[in-house]
Amino acid sequence: MTGAFGGTFRRIGAIARNTFIEASRNRAFIGLGIAAVALVVSSMAISGLALSDQRARVLVDFGLFSIALLEVVIAITMGVILVFKEVDRKTFYVVLTKPILRVEVLAGKLLGLLAILALSLVAMGLAWVLVLWLRDVPLPSDLVQALVLSWFQAALMTAIALFFSAFASPILSGVFTFGAFLVGSMVPVLEELLTLKKGPLATNPAARFLAESTVSLTPDLSVFNVGKELILGIPVGWGYVGAAGGYCLAWCVLFFGLAALVFERRDFN
Amino acid sequence: MENVIEVEGLRKHFRTAMRQRRVEAVRSVSFQVARGEIFGFLGPNGAGKTTTIKTMVGLIRPTAGRIRIQGGEPGKLSVMARIGFLPEQPYFYDYLKPQELLDTFGRVFGLPAALRRKRIDALLAQVGLDHARGRTLRKFSKGMLQRVGIAQALLNDPDLVILDEPLSGLDPIGRKEVIDLIASLKARGKTVFFSSHILADIERLCDRVVIIDRGVVRAEGTLGDLLGAGRSDKEILVEGAGTGDELAALPGVRRVDQIGAGVHRVVAAGDRSDELLRYVLDRGARVTGVTEQRMSLEALFLDRAFEGPQAREAE
Repeated sequence: MTGAFGGTFRRIGAIARNTFIEASRNRAFIGLGIAAVALVVSSMAISGLALSDQRARVLVDFGLFSIALLEVVIAITMGVILVFKEVDRKTFYVVLTKPILRVEVLAGKLLGLLAILALSLVAMGLAWVLVLWLRDVPLPSDLVQALVLSWFQAALMTAIALFFSAFASPILSGVFTFGAFLVGSMVPVLEELLTLKKGPLATNPAARFLAESTVSLTPDLSVFNVGKELILGIPVGWGYVGAAGGYCLAWCVLFFGLAALVFERRDFN
Repeated sequence: MENVIEVEGLRKHFRTAMRQRRVEAVRSVSFQVARGEIFGFLGPNGAGKTTTIKTMVGLIRPTAGRIRIQGGEPGKLSVMARIGFLPEQPYFYDYLKPQELLDTFGRVFGLPAALRRKRIDALLAQVGLDHARGRTLRKFSKGMLQRVGIAQALLNDPDLVILDEPLSGLDPIGRKEVIDLIASLKARGKTVFFSSHILADIERLCDRVVIIDRGVVRAEGTLGDLLGAGRSDKEILVEGAGTGDELAALPGVRRVDQIGAGVHRVVAAGDRSDELLRYVLDRGARVTGVTEQRMSLEALFLDRAFEGPQAREAE
């Protein structure tokens, strides 16, 4: 069994490595990376517009928000073309005819993109730390935890993008995935509305059913957003990060599994 | 002799967009390829060649029929580890260099690092890409990509090599190199299955061929059998045997050309040529030459793959 698993890891690793090298040299990704770092650095200019006692707070809040959003943008834009590009350009013809399972190819592609997201996170995180340091803003104690959580969020969005791209065009997949991001970010609001005794969700059974279904079937992305805690100095322990990681992993496995099912049955004409 | 490819009753149909219409790409294809032979797969565009090849390498699942590749099912890891495949007009990752692409595939095959390096160096030299190691694949011409495709198909030193149009996009020198390479694979005991439109190359290389058209096998066999079974004409040079019209009216005569004063070149059906010879000799004419005109693969291909509009309409 060890040999079989060793082979699986080796093959997934080869595809992940290939995806990482190919994507890291892609001009689109390099451009996106430069823009991302520039946006983080631009928080210096934005903080200049804030009241002097709010500058540190703006720098921390805007910096983390920018990083998390850009990670999601990279995850969606690269995630929706991850499989489509290979099918469209027929590069899969030479990959899938090697001794490798389709699910291994998909896993390798996903892991390669997650490594790219980690690389861009490190670049943006370093730029953010530099900005905070230049502005004499003390580094938030749980900065690393916050960055790791934003990576979890991007990883989950990649898995969702991969799922949609298994059967839809890149544009449609992008729209669906971004929709899932918006709804996922609104889950706490929906949960709160469901507790109200008045309003359409209390009186209209169809609307209530729709809201309840959305809350159950959509990952709650607020789990990964700790901007408020960072500003208020509320500790974000590694235990919480671990639990959020488990939550992310469970949803990733679900979406990846569904994508793999579609991919496995597909003909490559 | 042991068969390394067995295709029996292969059928594949697709649904067009929105499932409006059913398209039968392959209707009835059966053939066997024996170990160590070079097997040519011929057919006009849209005949079902690429669909058949894709089912053989596991990219497409057949609607019906059975395929065995080296005793196993297409797509199985143990089967795919022992074959090399070059798709038609291969395309690779834009931002990788050729040795990086081959390294990725070498890792997938599980080749140890030292062996990987050795094989990659040897293959890049063999396909004439040693000079292009510093360039990314997006800067490669079509012919260079074809060479990379051939190199990746041979990386695992496969027993069976399946090549879809390996000569397409290559210049005459490149074509000769690939032909020599295919011949050298046979010399090393490998089995080569390849499709091509370039009939002269197939005729030069292949032990056996299959001709398919509209998803159906039209002819299969050794070149000797197929060409021998076709019509075999004789070209006879005669002097003083009468006018061209008189000669053309004789039974079995296909064509008459006057090539000099009283000298004619007569092309006659092989089985009627003796009759013709007796006739011209009885008239006191002189026969200056008799040449057998063997049917070319091209003529056979045209004969079998394009059996006329009636045949198409009948189907």
